[in-house]
Amino acid sequence: MFLALKEIRKEKLRSSLIVAMIVLIGYLIFILTSLALGLARQNTDAINSWHVNQITLNANANVDMRQSFLSADNVGKLSNQEAVIGQTSVVAKSNQHKQLSAVFIGLKDTQFVYKNIKLESGHNVNGAHEIVVDTAFKTSGYKLGSQLTLNDDKQKYTIVGFTEGAKLNIAPIVYGQLNTWQHLRGMTSGPVASAVVSKNAHYQNNNTGVKTYTKQQVIDKLPGYQAQTATFVLMIGFLMVISLIIIAVFLYILTMQKIPNYAVLRAQGVPSKVLVKATISQSILLVICGLMIATGLTALTAVIMPASVPVAFDIPVLGGVGLGLLLMALIGSLIPVRSVLKIDPVSAIGG
Amino acid sequence: MDSLSVQNVNQIYGNGTAKVHVLHDVNFTAEPGTLNLIMGPSGSGKSTFLTIIGGLLTPTSGTVSVNGTNYTDLSKKERDQVRLESIGFVLQAYHLLPYLTVADQFKLVDKVKPEANLTEDELNNVLEMLDIKELLDKFPGELSGGQQQRVAIARALYPNPSIILADEPTAALDSSRVVVVAKLLKDLAVKHHKSVVVVTHDSRLMAAANHLYEMTDGYLTQKN
Repeated sequence: MFLALKEIRKEKLRSSLIVAMIVLIGYLIFILTSLALGLARQNTDAINSWHVNQITLNANANVDMRQSFLSADNVGKLSNQEAVIGQTSVVAKSNQHKQLSAVFIGLKDTQFVYKNIKLESGHNVNGAHEIVVDTAFKTSGYKLGSQLTLNDDKQKYTIVGFTEGAKLNIAPIVYGQLNTWQHLRGMTSGPVASAVVSKNAHYQNNNTGVKTYTKQQVIDKLPGYQAQTATFVLMIGFLMVISLIIIAVFLYILTMQKIPNYAVLRAQGVPSKVLVKATISQSILLVICGLMIATGLTALTAVIMPASVPVAFDIPVLGGVGLGLLLMALIGSLIPVRSVLKIDPVSAIGG
Repeated sequence: MDSLSVQNVNQIYGNGTAKVHVLHDVNFTAEPGTLNLIMGPSGSGKSTFLTIIGGLLTPTSGTVSVNGTNYTDLSKKERDQVRLESIGFVLQAYHLLPYLTVADQFKLVDKVKPEANLTEDELNNVLEMLDIKELLDKFPGELSGGQQQRVAIARALYPNPSIILADEPTAALDSSRVVVVAKLLKDLAVKHHKSVVVVTHDSRLMAAANHLYEMTDGYLTQKN
């Protein structure tokens, strides 16, 4: 640490350049991670908020709730651990506000999903023409009591409550009664739901024509979800590798310049481990400095980021990413460490 | 007990037609309290001899003993320890760490070998004798070649080694400084009872030597 600190203090420009690189990479990784997380959450917020483990869909729906229709026979008998939901895509229209594409989720008021809706304001749905909507509607100017129509239905629906984090596949959710879902789909008889959701991790619906999936299986099949997630993971992975290469190259160059000095120290009996520790400490100190600045920039960005940007600054996740970068620094320092270990002190003799 | 003893050392590089016999049956003893000067032309094997007696290179045959311990039997790590505790290298290529001030060069020694180094008074004496006491806050880049050489000498002496091996220690010094360094090396040998071995081309050091050796084509002969 002594050598590392002394060198960083003396070689301010070089150290600043390396730190600047790490700041840029760290900042980019933090923002990309937060965006990935934000987008992922907007895909899955609603499903996660229901606290379900198993989801039963029509066996021919390709694990897609939008394509699934269940008859009363399909649904079968439910315990208080299960609930039915009806899902359909809607366009919310109002004369005073812009149109919003949304997902309508029809619920039964006796079941747990309905009861667990966390309201930010207003009250829960009590009638066929009442709806509770995601706060994204509020951002678009809707208020409690605002009326809107859904798709080409002439019926006006009144917003009686707002709920936070109710998004499915990035679209805001409109919660209403299950009967309203049937009405919107034009199916007053026949299908009774899109899905059966269960809190029971071992729930299996063995009725004909249906299949039960885990929550994650359904999430993974959300349109575009895996492509989005994989893209971000790849980008973050590449940035990690780039950070590793930058740290390794800079440290290697710095270390190679010091080889004659180190050879003299080795000749004088200074153990290799002292020089190895100096190299690793230098790498870690530079990365920690870079990460601290990147964290500050990320925090600043979090403050000024518009609410419309799907970004989630999750401290444990970002902490994990920061640790990942530190690990990259450690790995990156192994290449110069190898050079240090190979120093031949004989080279110090004879000028 | 001899501080440094070399017996029947041979050093051969390569094999077959590329075989080079660098040192031939070299015998050498550096007793405490003596300054031993080894002179010879370039390529005569002086540097190879220095690397062997300094424990940096294992000879093809023969033994090297430091304070009674046969160097050739020790592991690399053990040899590092012997060098750190018992041998002070004054090298022609002094290569001071550029980001450490002169004072920090000594602090580094303290970090690696916290005990049995020179006391503050003893270090001050060495610094005064080498006329570098005023340079403690300077970085190597702010020093002349001669000043850096003197700092390197002080750094080698700071761990208080019983054996001092010097490779062209006066290469970057003017005549007046050569006299100072010669006196310092002589004092270390005589007053501080150290074994000093100097490999050099510089005949100006001959007057200070207790024993003079000549290395020619890998053969070491004692001149006095």
